[in-house]
Parts: sequence; structure tokens; C-alpha cells
Amino acid sequence: MRKKGKTVAATAESKRITFKPYVWITIGIAGLTSLFHVLGFIFDDVNIALIYLFPILFSAVYWGIAPSFYAASAGVLAFDYFFVPPFLSFTVQDLRYVLSFAVYLAVAALTATLAARLRQQVKLSKQREANTAALYSLSRQITAIGDIQVLLDNIISRVYETVQTYVAIYLPDDKTELRRAAWAPAELGIDESESAMAIAMLSFRHGEMAGKGTRTLKDFSGLFVPLRTEERTFGVMVIRTGNEDEALSAEELNLLEAFGGLAASAIARIKLSEEAKLAHLTAESERIRTALLDSVSHELRTPLATIIGSASALMEGDEVFSSADRVELLGTVRDGALRMNRLVTNLLGMVRLESGMLALRRDWCDAEDILGVVLSQVKGFQQDRRIVVKLPDPAPYFPGDEVLLEQVLVNVVSNAIKYSPDGSEIVIAVRQTGPWVRISVADEGIGIAEDDRDRVFDKFYRGADVNGTTGTGLGLAICKGIVEAHGGTIAAGPRAGKGTVVTIALPAGDPGLPEDWERKEEEA
Amino acid sequence: MTTTSGARILVVDDEPQIIKLLKVTLKAHQFEVLEAATGEAGIYQASMNHPDLIVLDLGLPDIPGIEVLRRIRDWSRIPIIVLTAKDREADKIEALDGGADDYVTKPFGMGELVARIRVALRHSGNAQQEPVLRFGRLVVDLAQRLVELDGSRVKLTPTEYELLKILASNAGKVITQRHLLQQVWGGHHHESDSHYLRIYIGHLRKKLEEDPTRPKFIETEPGIGYRFLLQDQGE
Repeated sequence: MRKKGKTVAATAESKRITFKPYVWITIGIAGLTSLFHVLGFIFDDVNIALIYLFPILFSAVYWGIAPSFYAASAGVLAFDYFFVPPFLSFTVQDLRYVLSFAVYLAVAALTATLAARLRQQVKLSKQREANTAALYSLSRQITAIGDIQVLLDNIISRVYETVQTYVAIYLPDDKTELRRAAWAPAELGIDESESAMAIAMLSFRHGEMAGKGTRTLKDFSGLFVPLRTEERTFGVMVIRTGNEDEALSAEELNLLEAFGGLAASAIARIKLSEEAKLAHLTAESERIRTALLDSVSHELRTPLATIIGSASALMEGDEVFSSADRVELLGTVRDGALRMNRLVTNLLGMVRLESGMLALRRDWCDAEDILGVVLSQVKGFQQDRRIVVKLPDPAPYFPGDEVLLEQVLVNVVSNAIKYSPDGSEIVIAVRQTGPWVRISVADEGIGIAEDDRDRVFDKFYRGADVNGTTGTGLGLAICKGIVEAHGGTIAAGPRAGKGTVVTIALPAGDPGLPEDWERKEEEA
Repeated sequence: MTTTSGARILVVDDEPQIIKLLKVTLKAHQFEVLEAATGEAGIYQASMNHPDLIVLDLGLPDIPGIEVLRRIRDWSRIPIIVLTAKDREADKIEALDGGADDYVTKPFGMGELVARIRVALRHSGNAQQEPVLRFGRLVVDLAQRLVELDGSRVKLTPTEYELLKILASNAGKVITQRHLLQQVWGGHHHESDSHYLRIYIGHLRKKLEEDPTRPKFIETEPGIGYRFLLQDQGE
């Protein structure tokens, strides 16, 4: 056991030096005596007697009470023998120097006590400083940690550094049984017997220290420190202490308790932030659910109303409508149904994205090819908006799922059409910069407020200025999901002048075509 | 187009609403309509009543549509058009490679379905290929291996010509990437070769189309393949 070994070594060291002060005192007094003897009679008796106080004071300050008493006795004897007439002898008359001896002893005792107390205080404050430093550095270290296990490992290794003995932290599991969560050193030296665990449980339940050196079960060879804040106990730290004789000092107990408190408040902090995160998530999913219901019910009901209304009008009053009226009513039926179809497609797309069922069918995509499909898809509702395509020659190839990327571009271009006036220009530009193929769609529409530029890609979020334009807030969220599944990015920004630019960046990849793949064919 | 009127069409679908819709509209287009609500009934009708074309829904209650397709293909070359949901590209390819002539995605416009039916009937009608194909400004002379655009000769590489020949002689029909790869590159192609195909199609478009991003001749069916547009249906 480490602790014990260290203490035993310390004791041996202190024993080795115990008689050293007596040697020094003897040498010192002998030296002083011979000095007086040589210089002798410059001094009076009184001065000589006073000077003999020096070794007493010195030994009291540095070596404590016993050496200083020895110094006092040696001093009196030397003074009496050498400097009180008759010289070089003890006589009965010398008994009057008993008084001096008493004064010497009193000085020795007082000084030694004071010095000892001072030393004790210095030692204590040094210890406190060390403890405070340890606690401070630990507390600084653990404030940055967001993971309970990392936190516990940190605390345990710091406690181990400080007490140099086996420690472990136990946390309650779901069934409120204590489970070992962290320990040091690597080999487990903690008693996990039933009785030990019962005491740990006791300490945990009551939030009080137990075991060696405490009021509860002080003879048990282990110390149980609850990890406790004002409100709650989070677990127990168990420290293996030495056997019979060695109790931990009050200081050490305080330090361990402080470690326990620090660990508890750090755990509390992490748990609180986890709970806050969960609460935020719940609120967010609540918000999304409400938005979903609002948006879906509105988006579904509006076209349904037009479909049902037009269809029933046609059935009930066929003869009152001119053929132009009929075509118009049928047109609203078709448009309503198409709108519902878009909504359902987007909802299904979202579900597929969120459930992780979106499987990319990666293949080489030709930007020109994809844009061709997109243009034919939006042709039906672009009205008189001009769509200009800027493609480099040759058009870039990149790996991706062409069906999904086409969906992304149809969504983005449809938005550009939806939010820009008829007759305006929409520019689709493709360029390859380094490892990225960038496709940008710029319109001359209402633009997106700066605050909304990231949020428009959130599910069900719609910009503040969309007044009147219908939509679910799903399209761009799906785009983002698909683009990110490709390892790309999508962002919205302002267009110089007026409108919006949505830029999609996709990894270009390497088609890995062999140099001579295109056998130089003769054109016939 | 008159040759296709009066053709007998078998509709295999379990949705009464779809059956009703197809029955009404196809009859209005002078087709005779047979119906079957299950795969088994569809196979039975196909063998007993000799329809000229089958419209087959891939999502049937009893046996998978693809299985119905396979079983009919075991003994018949009758044109089959499959109906599928939008985002089931894999199903579409499986059906096309399994012998379906074309596909229509639900929800579909009737105009689109009728156009597909007509193309499929016509291709099954004259197995004998005409030697000169005309598509508005474009003429493909199969006998002389000549391609002319607006009366002037277009120079194509052998691969480009082969691609154009397959697409143009199946005008109006979708051709899967795999089919094209097999036909043009023969047995020694693999799936990863599809970007070669894309590049050749790109070249072909550059030579034939005014604006390759707004193709008038070769249309891409994303994830599936290509379709050579009949010029009378060009928008």
C-alpha cells in the first residue's frame, strides 16, 4: 500500500535526525564557552548568562522543546562551571543559579511552543494552498467538459494524484443500484464486497461521508465521500485508506469532501445542460409538429377546395357553363391536383430523408443533362420568365444521384420562379472551381432577408416576406438534406442588385477516365 | 395513327378508380378495354382474350407486377406499358429490362398514356424497319448510314451513329442505359461505363440540338435512360 510505505519512510527519516540537534547544541555551547574563555573577561557574568540564551532560542525555534531544554541545561551547567567563581567547579552556593536555570527553561519552553505553532501554521497554510490549487485546477479543467465519463475520469485521476491511493466513483443506474463508473489506478483496488457496497449506498442515500476517520463506521478501512450538491447526491467516491493505525487528517477529509462537491456540481451542470437540450428538442419538435399540421392542412385543403368546388359545379350545372368556362374549371381541378401532388412528393421526400431511407444511387451526372431535365420540368409554369443557362464547355461531370439532384434543382428553380415577377430573368450558372462543381440559380425576385438566409433551409420555415405566396417550407429543407447527403452544401445569398442567388456546391470527384478512352473515331 | 384505333387494351390494376378512368378515356380514344383487378386475372385474360397491349400496374395485391410481366413475357411479345409510382426508379428499370415496352408514372396525364400506347402499338405493328426515318428537320437513312439535319449532312462517329440509330428507330419509346450499353458496346461493358454513354449522348446533342439544355430530339429520363422524341409530340 502506497500511503503506508511513504509514511514509514518518513518516520525512519525523522528518527535518524533526532540526536543531531543535541550534537549541534553540544558543539555550539562548547564553542561559545571556549570563545568566552579566550575573550573571557571583556564580558560580565550577566552578559555571559544572557548570551547563553542564544543556543536555547535557536534550538527552540529549529528543533523544538526537547533540544531546547537540553540547550538550557547545558548552558546553565557550562555557565556555572566555567564562569561562576570558584571556576571549574560546582559549589553549593551555585544553587542560586537554579533561578537562571528556571528562566532558561521558561524561555526554551515558550519559544519552542511558539515556534512549533508557527511551523504548524505554515505547514497548514501550505497544505491549504496546495489543496486550493488542486481544487482550482480541477474545477477549471472540468468546466469545459461536456461528457460525464470524461469528467469522471478527469476527477478520479486528479484525486488519485492528490491522495496516491486507490479511488473509484460509483453512480446509480436506472434501478438506483450503484455501478462503478470510473476508477484509478488501472487495476481496481477497491473493496466491492457486499458490506462495502452497503456502506457506499448508505453514504449515497444520506449524502454523508462514511468510513475511515468519519463519524459513521470510522473503523471501516475505506472512505466513502458522497458527490453531493445542495439538492441532490449524484454518486459516491470510494477511497481505499490504510489499515488500523492510519487515519486521514481532517485536512485530507476536507479536501476529499471538496473534490466530491466539485464532482457533484460538475455532474449537475452536465445533467442540466442535457436536460435543457432535451427540453429544447421537445419544444422544437412540438413547433415542427404544429407547423406541419398548419402547413399541411392549409396546403392540402386549399387545392382540395378548388378541386371539389370545380368538379361539383361541373357535375351539377353542366348546361350553364360555356365551353370556355368548363375548360377553366377543369384547369383549376388539374392545377389543384398538381399542387397536392407536389406537396405529397415533398412530404414523402422529407419522410424518406428523416427516416434515413434515402439511398443515393450514385452515378456520373452530366450537368447539361440534368439542367435539360430541370428546364423541361419547370417549363409548365415559368410563364414569361427567361431562364438563361451558363454552362462551361465541356459541361462538368460529377458523381451523384441524378434523380435526387434534379429534384433539388427543380425545387430551387421553382422557388426562383415563384418569388420573382413575370418577365424577369433567372440565370442558372454552372462552374467548376477546384474540387467543387457549383450550380447557382439567381433570380430578380423579392430576395431573402439576411436573418432568414440560413433558416429558409429549416423544415417548415418560410421567410417573413413571402406574403401570399403559398408553400410548405419543405422544399429547401429537402434540398439541403439531399445536397448534404452528397457531401455538398447549399446556401442562399443576395444577388447583386435585386433578388436571390442559391448556390449548390457538390464534390466534383474524379471520373477516372483513362487518357485514351475516347478512341479517336473517324467521323463518317 | 389510324392503324392503332380499335386495338384491344387490357388494363391490370387493383384500383377501381384508375380502372374507371382508363376505361372511360381509352374508350373515348376508340380503344376496346378489358380489365383485370389481380395479377392472376391479368395473366389469364392476356392468354385467353389476346389483347393488343397491356397496361400493367406494378403494385398488385396478389403477385408483384414484375412477376406478372415476367410470366406474360415467357410466351408473348405483346407490348406492355407499366404504371409505377414516381420515385421507384429501380422498379422502372427492372420492369423495362424485364421486357416492359415503356412506363408511365402515377399520377399521369391521359395524353401521356395515350401517346405511349400509340407508340408501343406502332412499334409492335411494323416489325419491318423502314430504311429512312424522318423527324422534322432530322433524317436518318439507315440503309446508307446517313444523317441529315436541315438537309445538310451531319458527321457522326460510329458510336454516335449506333446510339442515334437505336434511339431513333425506337422513337417515342424509352431506352434504358443498360440496353444502349449492350447494343452499342456489346457484351463487354459494365455498369460503371454509363458515363461514357453520357458523354456520347452529350456529343450527339451538341451535333443535333440547337440548345443542348433544351433538347428537341434526345430527352433524358433521369435515372432510367433516354427517349427519342417523336416530333409531333414536341412541345
